[in-house]
Amino acid sequence: MEVVLLFSMVIGFLMIGVPVAVSLGLSSIAFLTIFSDSTLASVAGTLFNAFDGHATLLAIPFFILASSFMSTGGVARRIIRFAIACVGHFRGGLAIASVFACMLFAALSGSSPATVVAIGSIVIAAMRQVGYSRDFAAGVICNAGTLGILIPPSIVMVVYAAATDVSVGRMFLAGVVPGLMAGLMLMIGIYIAARIRNLPAQPWAGFSEIGESAREAGWGLFLIVIIMVGIYGIPGLTPAIFTPTEAAAVAAVYAFVIANFVYRDMGPLKPATEEDYPLPLVRKPHALVTAMLHPDTKKVLLEAGKLTVMLMFIIANALILKHVLTDEQIPQQIASSLLAAGFGPIMFLVIVNVILLIGGQFMEPSGLLIIVAPLVFPIAIELGIDPIHLGIIMVVNMEIGMITPPVGLNLFVTSGVAGMPVFDVVRAALPWLSILVVFLVLVTYVPWISTALPHAIMGPETIIK
Amino acid sequence: MSQRYVPRTPLGRVINEIEETLIAAILGMMTLITFVNVVARYVFNSNILWALEATVFLFAWLVLLGASYCVKIRAHLGVDVMINLFNPAGQRVLGFLALASCLVFSILLLIGSWNYWAPFANLPEFDGTWRDQIWYEVNDIPMPAVLAWLGDAVNQGEAYEKMPRFIPYAVLPLSALLLVIRFAEAGWMLIKGEVTTIIASHELDDAPEPPAATPRER
Repeated sequence: MEVVLLFSMVIGFLMIGVPVAVSLGLSSIAFLTIFSDSTLASVAGTLFNAFDGHATLLAIPFFILASSFMSTGGVARRIIRFAIACVGHFRGGLAIASVFACMLFAALSGSSPATVVAIGSIVIAAMRQVGYSRDFAAGVICNAGTLGILIPPSIVMVVYAAATDVSVGRMFLAGVVPGLMAGLMLMIGIYIAARIRNLPAQPWAGFSEIGESAREAGWGLFLIVIIMVGIYGIPGLTPAIFTPTEAAAVAAVYAFVIANFVYRDMGPLKPATEEDYPLPLVRKPHALVTAMLHPDTKKVLLEAGKLTVMLMFIIANALILKHVLTDEQIPQQIASSLLAAGFGPIMFLVIVNVILLIGGQFMEPSGLLIIVAPLVFPIAIELGIDPIHLGIIMVVNMEIGMITPPVGLNLFVTSGVAGMPVFDVVRAALPWLSILVVFLVLVTYVPWISTALPHAIMGPETIIK
Repeated sequence: MSQRYVPRTPLGRVINEIEETLIAAILGMMTLITFVNVVARYVFNSNILWALEATVFLFAWLVLLGASYCVKIRAHLGVDVMINLFNPAGQRVLGFLALASCLVFSILLLIGSWNYWAPFANLPEFDGTWRDQIWYEVNDIPMPAVLAWLGDAVNQGEAYEKMPRFIPYAVLPLSALLLVIRFAEAGWMLIKGEVTTIIASHELDDAPEPPAATPRER
C-alpha cells in the first residue's frame, strides 16, 4: 500500500520537527516523483491552484481580519460586560458568563484560538479576583473557546466546504443549533460544579445594567446580524445579499469602522491616556482617511496577515496532498474496501471519529480536514449520510482535537493567556472535555441536531454524485 | 505563541519593514476590493468584473510571500512533543534533519515553480525546454496602461488586452527563492547554535508570575 508510505512520511517529518506545511508538501512531492510521472512544475501549479481554484477559501483571511479588529477594538470587553449582566448572578456566574461571552464572540469570529485570546485574556484574571482557582478558570475558557469553530462563522467550516464542495451557507446554518447546545451543556456543567464547590455568584446588577451593556455591546453584536442577513437574507423581505466571502469582507470593514470610529479603542481617535475621553469624529474629521494608514490599523492587518499565512500555507500544502490522493484514486479504494467489509453508517461514523480524534491531536484542524474530508466524503455519501451532518461531526472532532495534547492549539493559547504551563492547562481542561465528548456522541448519532435548521431554511440537500 | 522578532542590522530592519508593510497592504487591498465590489453591485448596480480574480491573485501573493516571512519569525506550526524528549545533542541532530527536509522542499519547489512559470515568461525551463506561452492572458484583469509597453517589449509588438499570466504567476518562483534563502538562514542560525528548532515553540519564554489572587478552593 503506497498510501501507507505517504502517511508514514507525513508523520515522520512531523515528528522530527518539520513544520506541518512542509511535511505535507514534501511528502506529496516525494510520493509524486517516486510513484507517478507528475512533474515538479505540476506541483507548483497545484500550489497556485490552491488559491486560484478555491475562491471559497477567500473568506478565511477576511474572517480572521474581522475578528482581529474586534479583539483589538474593545468589542470583547463590552461583550463580557453584557454577558456578566445577563447571567452573572447565578452560582458560578462569572464562569457561566465567560461561556456566554465565548459563544457571542464565536458568532463574530471564525476561530477558536482567537476566541480564547479575546475573552480569556480578560475573564481569567477577573475570575481569579473573585476567588475561582486558576485551573477552573483556564479549563472553562479553554473548552468554551472551541465553540469558535462550531458557532458560525467558522474557518474550519469554510475549509470543509472548500474540500467537499458543499455550500458554506448551509454549513454555517448547521452549526447554529449544535453551537447553542454545546454552550448550554457547558453552562449546566459549570452550574453543577459551582453548586458542589460553592463558587461565588455576582450581585444582580438589575435590568438597567443589562440594557446599558447591551447598548454598548450592540455595535459589535450587530455584526452577527450583518453576516446572517447578508448570507441568508430575510425571509419574505430580501433574498441573500452577498456570498459568505463577501459577507466576511463586509464584516472586516464594519469591524474596522466600529473599532476606529465608534468604540475608538484604537486608531487616530483613541484617547491619549486611560482617563481621557476618546475624541469625537467632528473634532478630527481627517481621521476618516488617516485611520486607514494609522499604525494601529497596520498592526492589526499584519497580525491577521500572519495568521492567514500560517493557516493558508498549511491548507495549500494539504491541497497538494489531497491532489495526490485523488490522482491515485485512493478515496475510491478506501471506500470500496470499507463498503466490502460491510460497515454500516454507525460503524463508519465511529471510525471517522477515531481517525479524527487521533489525527486532531497531531495536526492543525484545517489541514487535517482538507486531507480527511475527501477520503471519507465519498463513503459517507454512499452510506446515505448527510454531507452537512458529516461536516458538523468533523468540526466537533476538531474542537476536541484543539484541547487535547500534544498539538491542541487552544491549550497553547490558554497557557499563554492564563500564564500557566501547558501541562496544567491539559489537566484543567480535562473535566470539561468529557462534556464535549458526550456532545460529540450526541451530534454523531442524532443527525437532526445538525440538519434541522439548514433543511428548514434552505430545503433538503441535493447530492450530485 | 507569537514570537517577538527583532531585526539586528539596519538592512534587516529595512527588509522587515518591507515584508510587514507588504503583508498588511495586500490584506488591506483584498478586503477593500471585495468590499468595494459589493458596494458597486448594490449602490451603483455594476459589478467590478476583475474584482474576484484580482483578490484571488492577491491572496496567493499574500500567502506565498508571507510563508518566507513566517520562516524568519519562526511562526510555522509544528509538533515539538517528540523533540522535547531528546537531550540537547539529540535535539540538535533532529533540528538539522528537519532543516534539511525544509531545504529539500524549498529547492524542489523552486525548480517546480520556475518550470511552471518559465513558459509564461518566455524563458527556458531548467532542463532547457522552451515552450513559449507568453501570450497567455488572465481571464478578467485588464492590462494596466502603465504596463502597455510590455506588449511591444515581450509579445512581439502585440498589445495585451488582459494582464499576461506571467505577472501573477511570478510570485511562485519569487516566493520559492525567498523560502530557500530563509531556510538557509535558519540553517546558519542552527549551526551557530542560536536556535534549536525551526518551528514555533509552544512553551512560554518566561512564565509570567501568577496573578495575585488568593485561591479559595483547594
